[in-house]
Amino acid sequence: MAKTPRIIIVGGGLAGLSAAIKVAEAGGSVDLFSVVPVKRSHSVCAQGGINSAKNLKGEGDSTWAHFDDTVYGGDFLANQVPVKQMCEMGPSIIDLLDRMGVPFNRTQEGLLDFRRFGGTLFNRTAFAGATTGQQLLYALDEQVRRFESEGKVRKFEYWEFLSSVIDSKGTCRGICAMDLRTMEVLTFPADAVLIATGGIGAIFGKSTNSVVCTGSAQSALYQQGAVYANAEMIQVHPTAIPGEDKVRLMSESARGEGGRVWVPKNPKETRAGKDVPEGERMYFLEEWYPKYGNLVPRDIATRAIHKVVHTLGLGVQGLPMVYLDLSHIDAATLDKKLGGILEIYEKFVGEDPRKVPMKIFPGMHYTMGGLWVDNDQQTNIPGLYAIGECDYSIHGANRLGANSLLSCIYAGFIAGPHSMKYAAGLGADPEDLQASFDAEKKRQLELNNHLIENQGTENPFQLWREMGETMSKNVTVTRYNDNIRETEAKLVELLERYKKVNLSDRSMWSNQSFMFTRQLYNMLQLARAVAMGARLRDESRGSHYKPDFPERDDANFLKTSMARFAGAAEGPRFDWEPVDVSLIKPRPRRYDSK
Amino acid sequence: MASTAQSANTALPKGVSPLRAGTGTSFLWRRLHSLTGIVPVGLFLLEHLISNAEILNGANAYNGQVKFLTGLPFRLWLEIFGIFLPLLYHAAYGVYIWWRGENNVIDYALKGNWFYTLQRYTGVLVFAYVAFHLWTMRFTGIHLTEHYDASVWKVQTELAHPLMIAVYAVGMLAACWHFGYGLFLFAAKWGIVTGEKAQKRAQVLGIALGLLLTLLGLVTIYSFVTRPAQEKNPLWEQPVQEQSQLMAPAATVR
Amino acid sequence: MANKTVQFKIKRQDGPNSQPYWDEFEIPYRLGLNVISLFMEVALNPVTREGKQTTPVNYDSNCLEEVCGSCAMLINGKARMACSALVDNLEQPIQIEPFSKFPVVRDLQVDRSVLFENLKAVQAWVPIDGTYDLGSGPRVLPQVQEQAYRLSQCMSCSCCMEACPQFNESTGFVGAATIAQARLFNMHPTGKVLKEERLAALMGDGGIQECGYAQNCVEVCPKEIPLTKSISDVGGQVMKKAVLDFFRV
Repeated sequence: MAKTPRIIIVGGGLAGLSAAIKVAEAGGSVDLFSVVPVKRSHSVCAQGGINSAKNLKGEGDSTWAHFDDTVYGGDFLANQVPVKQMCEMGPSIIDLLDRMGVPFNRTQEGLLDFRRFGGTLFNRTAFAGATTGQQLLYALDEQVRRFESEGKVRKFEYWEFLSSVIDSKGTCRGICAMDLRTMEVLTFPADAVLIATGGIGAIFGKSTNSVVCTGSAQSALYQQGAVYANAEMIQVHPTAIPGEDKVRLMSESARGEGGRVWVPKNPKETRAGKDVPEGERMYFLEEWYPKYGNLVPRDIATRAIHKVVHTLGLGVQGLPMVYLDLSHIDAATLDKKLGGILEIYEKFVGEDPRKVPMKIFPGMHYTMGGLWVDNDQQTNIPGLYAIGECDYSIHGANRLGANSLLSCIYAGFIAGPHSMKYAAGLGADPEDLQASFDAEKKRQLELNNHLIENQGTENPFQLWREMGETMSKNVTVTRYNDNIRETEAKLVELLERYKKVNLSDRSMWSNQSFMFTRQLYNMLQLARAVAMGARLRDESRGSHYKPDFPERDDANFLKTSMARFAGAAEGPRFDWEPVDVSLIKPRPRRYDSK
Repeated sequence: MASTAQSANTALPKGVSPLRAGTGTSFLWRRLHSLTGIVPVGLFLLEHLISNAEILNGANAYNGQVKFLTGLPFRLWLEIFGIFLPLLYHAAYGVYIWWRGENNVIDYALKGNWFYTLQRYTGVLVFAYVAFHLWTMRFTGIHLTEHYDASVWKVQTELAHPLMIAVYAVGMLAACWHFGYGLFLFAAKWGIVTGEKAQKRAQVLGIALGLLLTLLGLVTIYSFVTRPAQEKNPLWEQPVQEQSQLMAPAATVR
Repeated sequence: MANKTVQFKIKRQDGPNSQPYWDEFEIPYRLGLNVISLFMEVALNPVTREGKQTTPVNYDSNCLEEVCGSCAMLINGKARMACSALVDNLEQPIQIEPFSKFPVVRDLQVDRSVLFENLKAVQAWVPIDGTYDLGSGPRVLPQVQEQAYRLSQCMSCSCCMEACPQFNESTGFVGAATIAQARLFNMHPTGKVLKEERLAALMGDGGIQECGYAQNCVEVCPKEIPLTKSISDVGGQVMKKAVLDFFRV
C-alpha cells in the first residue's frame, strides 16, 4: 500500500480551497497554509459574479463563445488550450457550486439566473447578490471544514509562507513557513506544493486588493528560480473609491444607470461638487467620446481619467480624483437599481451619493501576470504548482469581468488531481533531502535574525508608501519608458534604503511590522520585474498601454514575458516565450468599432 | 528603543469554550425553567392576582375566595407540587442564570438589553419579595387555611405601614413585569413567535399584560388599604381543636 | 480648523498574559479617515501623544470593505468593524480596545477560532456526494434564496458574540452566528439531511438554550443578519425535536 500523498497548499482563497477539496476527495492529505483564517481570504471581495456558458437564457451561448470572448478580451496573450478547458469546465463548476448551496440568484422557476457582463453579448454571469465571491468562498470553506473535521485537511492559519524547499535535484519538496504568533520558523515536507496566494496589489500601495495581497510568496518563489510571467499585465479599474486606507471598487453599473463623470473646469475650484454650476463642469468622457459617453470601455475610461488628473491637472481639489455623479437621478430609482453599491459609498465615505457626486479614481485591481505554469498548472520547478490569480494563465493582457472566480476554481480543479498524480510518480528521496530542509530553515532564520537586529533609520511603512507611489504613477495605466526607468531606479534606491530598515518593534511575538518588513523586500524585488516587463514590452496590448507604441505588435510581442531572478542586486532578467494561438487566430481588438 | 525582544509567555488563555455538541443536560433544565415560569408559576400568579381582586367585591367575597381555595381537595399537595417546588426551582435556577450572565447594558444601552437586564433583576427582586410574602402571609401569623375569615384582616394588618404598601407595590410591579416579559421570552425562545415584526408585537403585548396585571394588583392593594379595618377575632388565636368547633357556625364578617 | 487633529487611545497588550496598557495618539485630521487608517498612521510614525516611542499597533484586517470579518474590535465600547468606523462619526478621543470575550493575542488581535469550532460542531455545510459532475443542484425558489442569502452573508466577525451578555466563559454559549448558520443549512434542500444532527448539537451544553434574548446580536451585526429570528426559528426546531424525541424515541 502506497503512503498517502501529502500536498501542501499555500493560500485559502477560491483556488486554494478548490484544490484542497479535490486532493482530500482523492484521498490525499492536505496541509493548508494561510496568513488569515481562510474564510477571510481576498476572494470575498469579488462582487459581480462568475461566468459560465450554461445557456439558460435561450441565447445560444456556448463554451466556445465564452472561450472566444475570453481570448479576445485578453488581447490574445493567453495560451489558448487552458482557456478553452476552463470555459468547457464552466457549466459543471456552476452546477457543483449550486449543489454546495451557494445562494445564487434565481429565476421564478427556481433555476439559476444569469446577467450580462462586460466583453460579451450573452447573459453568462451567475451571481449571488453583489457578493458572489464571498458566497463562493464560503461554500468551499464549508466543504473544507467538513474535510478538516474528518482529518483530511490540516489548517495552518496565521502562518506565513517564507519559501519553498527545493532538493538537490531541483524538485520542490516542501515549504518553510513561520507561525505569525509564535514567530517560529518550521519546514514542512510534502510531495507537491500548490501556491494559491492571489494578487500583488500591495506593490502599488493602495489597490482594490486586500491587505494580504502582497505578492510576497510569488516573489519568494521567483527569487528561488520560478519564472514570473507577464508581470507587466496589471488591470486598473476605472471607477474605484479612493480611501485613506485602500481603494474600494465602485461597480460599472453606476455609469450604466446614467452616472456622469466630470471635473470642475477650474483646477483651483474649492466649492463642494454639488455647488459647482453646470457650466463650470467638464464632462470629459462625454466630450471626448460622444458616441459612448460615460460608457466607454474600462481601459479607455481609466486612461481618460488619468489624463485629466495627471496631464491636465484637473483633479478635484487638486487631488487625484474625479466626480462620478448620480445626484441628478431621483433617489427612488437609485435605491431600486443601485442600492447595494450606494450603501458601500455611504458607509465608507460618509456621504450620500444620492445627494452629492461620488469622488472616484481608477484603482489597481487585478494581476493578470503571475507565476509561469504549464497546462497542468505546474511551474518550471517540478512539484511546485501555482493556481488562481497568482498564476499567469487564462487572462492574457486583460481580464474579463466575472472570469476570475471561474479561473481560480478551474486552476484548483486541475492542479489538485494533477498534483496527486505527480505525487504517486515521485521517485525516491535524494539522500541529502534532510540537508535541503535544514539549509532552507537556516537561511530563513538568518534572514529573520538579520532583520530583527538591523540598526538603521528607515521606516518600512515609509519605504512601502514610496514604492506604491512610484509604481502607481508610472507602471499602471499610461506607461512611458523614461518614467518606468525612473521607477526602476527608485526601486533600486528603495532596496538600498531597505538595508537600513529599522524595526521599532523587535518583539518575537505576533510582530506584524516584522512580517510586513519581510514581505516588503519581496514586494520590492517583484516590483522590479513588473516595471522592467512594462519597459521591455514596446507595444500596447490590453491593459498595457504605451502612448509611444500605441499599436499591438504581434510580430514582436505576441509573446509571454518570462522574468527570471538574476540576483538580489541584478534583479530580473527577461526572455520571451511564444503564445499558443492554435485555436483562435489573433485578430485586431477594437472596442470602438461596431 | 521602544520594545526589546521578549520571551512572552505565549500560551493563549482558553477563552469561551466551543459548543459541547449533543452533550449535557442544560437544555432540559433551562427549558424547564422557562416552562415553569409560565406553567405553573405564571398561571398561579394570574390566579392569585384575580383571587386577590375579589376584595373589590367586598370583604366577604374575598374571604369566601380564600375559603374556596383553602378548601380545595389535596390542597397541600397542590401547594407543594403546583406552587412551591416549581417556584423554588424557577427561582433557584433563575438565580443561577442571573449569576452566569454578564450584564453589559452600560456599553450596549439597547432596548432588548435593558429588558434582558430587567428580567434578571426583577427575577431576583421577586424571589426576595415572594420569600418575604410567603413568610408573613403563609407560614406565620394566623393560618388562613384554618381561619379563612381572617384573610382580609391579615392583609390589612400586613399593609398597615406605608412602607409595606411600597414593598408590596414594588413586588407587584416586579412580578407582573417579569411574568409579562417572560411570556414574550417564552414565545420567542420556543419558536412560537419567530418573525421580526411578530416579535415586536409579542414584546409589546407581553409588556402590556405585565403592566395591566400590575394595575390590577395596585387597585387591589388600594382596595385593601382604603377599606374599613377588620377587627381581630380573638378566636383566631385559640388552639385549633377548640376553635374548629367554635368556627363551625359560620363566622360573621362585617 | 487648520490645526484640527484626531485623538485616539488604544488599549494594548504585548502578549496573551501581559498586562494591558493604553497608548494615546494624536494625528492631524484628514477627510475620510477610518480607524484602520489611524493604525496605518501610527505605523508610519510610532510615537505617542506624549512623544514616547512606541511600536506599530498589531491588529487583524484584510479586505477593509466589511466583507472579510477580520477587523472587529471595540470602538468607543462597541463591537464593530474598524474598516467601516469613520473618524467623522466617532466621539473623540476614540477609544479602541480588543474584544473582551476572546483571548487577546496581541494589542487588538484576538483569537476567534471558537466560532470556527462551533461551525464544525453544527456541521455547517451541505454534505454533497462528491465534486464530480452530478448535474445541477436542487431548484430553489427566489424567495427562499433571498432568505438564505441574508444568512449566508455572515462573515464570522463575531461581533454578535462579543456583544452577547450570555456569551462568556461560564455559559460557553455557542452564540448567534452559529445558530443562524445551522438554520441556513437546515433550510437547504440537501443540507437538511443533517438537520437532526445539527439540532442535537445545539441542544448540548452551551447550546441554543443559553440565549437570554437580550437581542444585542442583531443590533451590532454589521451585515444586519436576522439573528434573533434565526434563534427563534431554530428554537422552535429544537423544541419540536425534543417533544418528538420524548414521545417517539
